[in-house]
Amino acid sequence: MTTMILLTCILALFMFITSGRSGLYSFISLVINFILLFITIVLIAGGVPAIAVSFFTGICILAITIYMGNSGENETDIAFLATILVMSVMIVLIIPVEHLAQVQGFSNEDSEEIEAFNLAIGVNFEAIIISTTVLSTLGAIAEAAIAVASGLQEIIEQKPDITLQELRKSGQNIGYQIMGMTFNTLFFGMFGGNLALFILLYKLQATFGYYLNSKVFVSETMLVLYASIAVILIIWTTSELMVYRLAKQRKKNSK
Amino acid sequence: MRLKKKNFILGLLIILSGGLLYLFTINDAFLYKQPIMRITHVENGKTVGIVDEFKNHDQQTSQRITGNILNGEHKNEKFKVHNTYTKSRGMDQKFHVGQLVFVNIYQKKDKQTVSISHYKRDTYLLMLCWLTLVLLFVVMRSNGLRSIVSVILNFILFLIIVQLDVMWNITSFFGIYAISAIVFTALTLVLVIGWNKQCLVTFAAIFFGTATALLITVIAMWLTDDKGMHYEALDFATQAPKQLFLSASVIGLLGTVMDAATDIVSTLFELKRSQATVSFKQLFESGRQVGKKIMGPLINVLLLIFFAETFTLAILYFRTGNSFGYTFEWTMSLGLVQTLISGIGITLVIPSASLLAATALRGDD
Repeated sequence: MTTMILLTCILALFMFITSGRSGLYSFISLVINFILLFITIVLIAGGVPAIAVSFFTGICILAITIYMGNSGENETDIAFLATILVMSVMIVLIIPVEHLAQVQGFSNEDSEEIEAFNLAIGVNFEAIIISTTVLSTLGAIAEAAIAVASGLQEIIEQKPDITLQELRKSGQNIGYQIMGMTFNTLFFGMFGGNLALFILLYKLQATFGYYLNSKVFVSETMLVLYASIAVILIIWTTSELMVYRLAKQRKKNSK
Repeated sequence: MRLKKKNFILGLLIILSGGLLYLFTINDAFLYKQPIMRITHVENGKTVGIVDEFKNHDQQTSQRITGNILNGEHKNEKFKVHNTYTKSRGMDQKFHVGQLVFVNIYQKKDKQTVSISHYKRDTYLLMLCWLTLVLLFVVMRSNGLRSIVSVILNFILFLIIVQLDVMWNITSFFGIYAISAIVFTALTLVLVIGWNKQCLVTFAAIFFGTATALLITVIAMWLTDDKGMHYEALDFATQAPKQLFLSASVIGLLGTVMDAATDIVSTLFELKRSQATVSFKQLFESGRQVGKKIMGPLINVLLLIFFAETFTLAILYFRTGNSFGYTFEWTMSLGLVQTLISGIGITLVIPSASLLAATALRGDD
């Protein structure tokens, strides 16, 4: 048995023990997401346009992450709608910035790993980096959207006569708590993934100026920044949508 | 009306700051020691089609670039340099007039030659930082800026720790990262929650979750004799790869465990505040409910972060005739194991955070 299989079994077991059936659902959604990502890579390598495939995968992953394990209530729909809106805005931001910053493909620091390869392999590396950037921001926004939407729903249920202004304020409060921690998750996630790179850059005695301009550092930092921007946008969008829905419901009831 | 005027002025200031930052970053060549060249003229050569042994078709174009040096002792001197780019742009780049590039200038006998070292990207990075801060401020006002403080402090601390690791150069450097993980946790919690009982409970839960998950991982690795773990596939590794992998895992694990533990503990403390009579059992159950809700999305965040990093490399492997299994093993498996470790950490922290918070809150009465 490989280490990975053993760890996968342990994770599945623990998820089941701590959360019962919904833990099992979460585990299945994880497996499905993994398969989707793997298929996406295979399709892109096969020559299918990267951005189109990733957009489709992105929507599937969102739907799975948001609807599986969360019973399909109203607030889940709002969370889903909000993530789709923010994802579209992010695509509009990411495409030009990635084009300007030219961080696609491999960097000089990668050279040891890829020296055996010929890099002229006829794929569009720029489209690939755009797809990976969009996909990596998705997870963070899906999580935040659910947290804000379900938090606000809880408040509406406990205090049905809440004013719209108060609800908006609560959305901000919940968002603030989520944001602080999400930033840290993203930050540690990224540095955890790139610890070796930082040690290498330090050993090469890279200057501060080099950090600000090198392909590998800029692209990693931009990933975290995109994710942060997306999280800020999703908190705002989700709470505004919840406020809008409440206002609409009240109007309907008063008629 | 006054409020509107204030907002208008604020908006104007924000836009002005962005404009100034942009102007500064496109003219900051004087801050760099390495010579920077502004491209003034580009002459594109012929494009030739190339095919590799795996029938991948690509195109290669050469460029003759002329430019002015903007800083240093060669300021205002004109240089010509050669560049080739492929259609896929794996490691090269197509240059345009007006772009700024870092160059190296060599003295060859009495002639000076120039080579392009890397593209100047600081403008885009800093503008994106600016955009993030502005959005944070607009949506959250000063609260939002405060939440960024802990991230910046952590970043500085992280750089210091990397520096210590390289300086001391000890064989068991995993210890450095393990201790730093504890410092990271304490610092972040005190900044986000404040110095109180809630902070202590959260810290204990995080410590337990991280340590146990790590222990389980190490035991699993020992039981399976590291089968299928290609530590040598770790990018950029300059130190013992297995320790490096474990160090990286601890840092990634910490972020998620911290996220989950804070969510659970703060919800339970809030519950106790609004309902003083809540029982131990109710508290523990509520904690588990919160945990259930966040577990799935949190592990998915990590899966996406780790996976995104492997995209480019995996496609390169596939296009050069490697099988699914081989590509998976060499490009994705390490990232996936990191996700699994973090997932185990989350599942452990849910009951421990619920139990610890419930116990601590019972002790009040």
